[in-house]
Amino acid sequence: MAELKTFKGGIHPPYNKELASGKAIKAAPIPPEVVIHLQQHIGAPCEPLVSEGDRVEVGQKIGEAQAFVSAPVHASVSGVVKAITEAPNFTGAKVRSVVIAADASQPEFQKKPGKDLEALTAEEIREIAKEAGLVGMGGAAFPTHVKITPPSDKPIDTVIINACECEPFLTCDHRLLLERTDDLIAGARLLKTAVGAGKVIFGVEANKMDAVDALRSRSSSYPDVEVEVLEVKYPEGAEKMLIFALTGRKVPPGKLPSEVGCLVQNVGTAVALYEAAAWGKPLYERVVTVTGPGVREPANLLVRIGTPVSVLLEACGGLVGNPVKLIMGGPMTGWAQPDASAPVVKGTSGVVVLTSDVVDLGEESECVRCGKCVEVCPMFLSPNFIVQSVKRGQWDKAEMWGALDCFECGCCSYECPAYIPHVQYVRKAKAEIAALKKK
Amino acid sequence: MAMENLVVTPPPHLKSKEQTALAMRDVLIALAPITIAALVAFTYNALFNIAVCVGSAMFFEWAVRKARKKKVTLSDGSAAVTGLLLALLLPAKIHWLNMIIASFVAVVIVKELMGGLGRNIFNPALFGFVFILIGSGFLASWTGHLGFLPGGFDGVQAATPLAYIKHGLEGPHPSYAALLFANYGGAISEVGCFWILLGGAYLIYRKVINWVIPVSILLTVFILGYIVGSDGLYHILAGGVMLGAFFMATDWVTSPMYRWGQAVFGLIIGICVVLIRVYGAPAGAVAYSILIGNAFVPLLDRVFKPKRFGEVVAA
Repeated sequence: MAELKTFKGGIHPPYNKELASGKAIKAAPIPPEVVIHLQQHIGAPCEPLVSEGDRVEVGQKIGEAQAFVSAPVHASVSGVVKAITEAPNFTGAKVRSVVIAADASQPEFQKKPGKDLEALTAEEIREIAKEAGLVGMGGAAFPTHVKITPPSDKPIDTVIINACECEPFLTCDHRLLLERTDDLIAGARLLKTAVGAGKVIFGVEANKMDAVDALRSRSSSYPDVEVEVLEVKYPEGAEKMLIFALTGRKVPPGKLPSEVGCLVQNVGTAVALYEAAAWGKPLYERVVTVTGPGVREPANLLVRIGTPVSVLLEACGGLVGNPVKLIMGGPMTGWAQPDASAPVVKGTSGVVVLTSDVVDLGEESECVRCGKCVEVCPMFLSPNFIVQSVKRGQWDKAEMWGALDCFECGCCSYECPAYIPHVQYVRKAKAEIAALKKK
Repeated sequence: MAMENLVVTPPPHLKSKEQTALAMRDVLIALAPITIAALVAFTYNALFNIAVCVGSAMFFEWAVRKARKKKVTLSDGSAAVTGLLLALLLPAKIHWLNMIIASFVAVVIVKELMGGLGRNIFNPALFGFVFILIGSGFLASWTGHLGFLPGGFDGVQAATPLAYIKHGLEGPHPSYAALLFANYGGAISEVGCFWILLGGAYLIYRKVINWVIPVSILLTVFILGYIVGSDGLYHILAGGVMLGAFFMATDWVTSPMYRWGQAVFGLIIGICVVLIRVYGAPAGAVAYSILIGNAFVPLLDRVFKPKRFGEVVAA
């Protein structure tokens, strides 16, 4: 067998996908109250379109911004607006939010009469994505309609569907690949139309061969769809790594994938685009993997946006063992939570609970220059020298060693024998460098 | 639900099993074969030296960290490694004061006062060794072994294998096989470089070191040895080249970060070893060479900084 496509660098953390990969998607309970942040995306925050006391129906647009780089938000339940208030999001930052008290009984979603997807124009698809509030659902939450509006001087020839799901533990994309294969392929082909590309490539890690088989058999009639198997390695699904692995093209530092004629979208986003285009369904719910050794019954749940994490944990039988980390997102890039109160947002791919027996909270010690961070860095940066520069306050040097090119995958910290939290130092460097450039 | 123990730290939330202390433990394991060989050859003399060097290195580290009101880091194992390497570099018959002085220089001056583990420019054990090599008369006791194994030179004043390089290899000199397995005059670690290779292989297998530096040094010495009209194979088997290549030059802190820098680092060391041995004083040639290499590390790290992913190289 030929060697699988991949990138250089990266790590092989324990994946632990088996905890949830066999669990079919099921609906999570609807909480008595949802907290819907008016900013769940990269870009301008939305202004509320509703007021306290208003009655809202599920799917109704409740927040919107004038800015192009933004995404509207929709009510995830039918009910009454209880408050418009500041609420902490998963990062701990306070954001303006709409709190909706849910009705005791919720209506079934009514699919709008089917549209002819093949007849949709690029402009129409972008408008559908914008109206549905679509954002990148892999975690970055960049507004989809912006991403599928590439600069006119940069033609896109390839749409890549990121089906790597390289974050350990998470399985929500795997389940979508298996359970929503046709919808996913249709959504991917809509993306292709939207950017005028010639083909769609699905990049799937080799630990999901059942998904590869499903995609291949369901897409056999489409000559414009390719399915590629990738090596199981983190961060295979990082945009630049994935483009390189699949096409051999390298996105230059500081540039976007459009520079090399590519558009990368996550599995969840493609399915959501299909739902928006075919059914007229805005993005008000998503699949979240609730898993980890600290969760009694790991599951892949279809969750209404704004549902607090505690409701999901309860739906999974509660916690077991000695939980020390509650993470929103994946364990490599996700955010540790002080409690289970944060609401699910459009970019929440998982809730991972780690117990004391798998968490290693070693104390940071001096760098011993072992070079492991350099070896694993997929961007070929020098994390140790970035950290050294930050410690000395030498921001120009931090930039020289590549701080701005770091996408914070965390491979360096994972390997570091001295327990250095490189990502934290890089974030500090990025903030300082940005502040200096503003001056 | 039991959530009172939740901790909030930045990502990533998973950690490999890599730990500085575990790497140091691997170095100690890798040094076990050569240490045992030295103990067999030199018996209680080697045991005494190792005890003095390791003990004093650990004591000085403890004392200097305490004096500077810093966390005592004996548990990272680096002081023990420094002490053991120092002992292995020294001959069996050496005054104990030499060892204490070398240990002090290595741990207190070269390591701690340079900022502690991770910030020192020079390899502590080698620097301590060279300090007493130059500053004390212990060379007088450099020759001769006190052990009982047959096959080696038994004369107390027999020349070390390195002396034959300097004075030509025409006459009787140790065979390659003897250099691989037997014990000769010189440092207590010069009791067969097979045991060092064994440890080196373990370090590479455990990914504590990579092959670039040792291979670069050995290849350079081997080839250059023949170029200057000497015996390249004899060069890499005799003296401290093997120990230096696998255990000293590969020291994380004092070697270059990047592969190409490591290759050039090995080249510099290899060239120095041959030149010093052939045209200078053979004793300590490897130590001098690695320390010279150490001085090049900051430069090598700048010159060989890798191109970032997707970075276009200006033509």
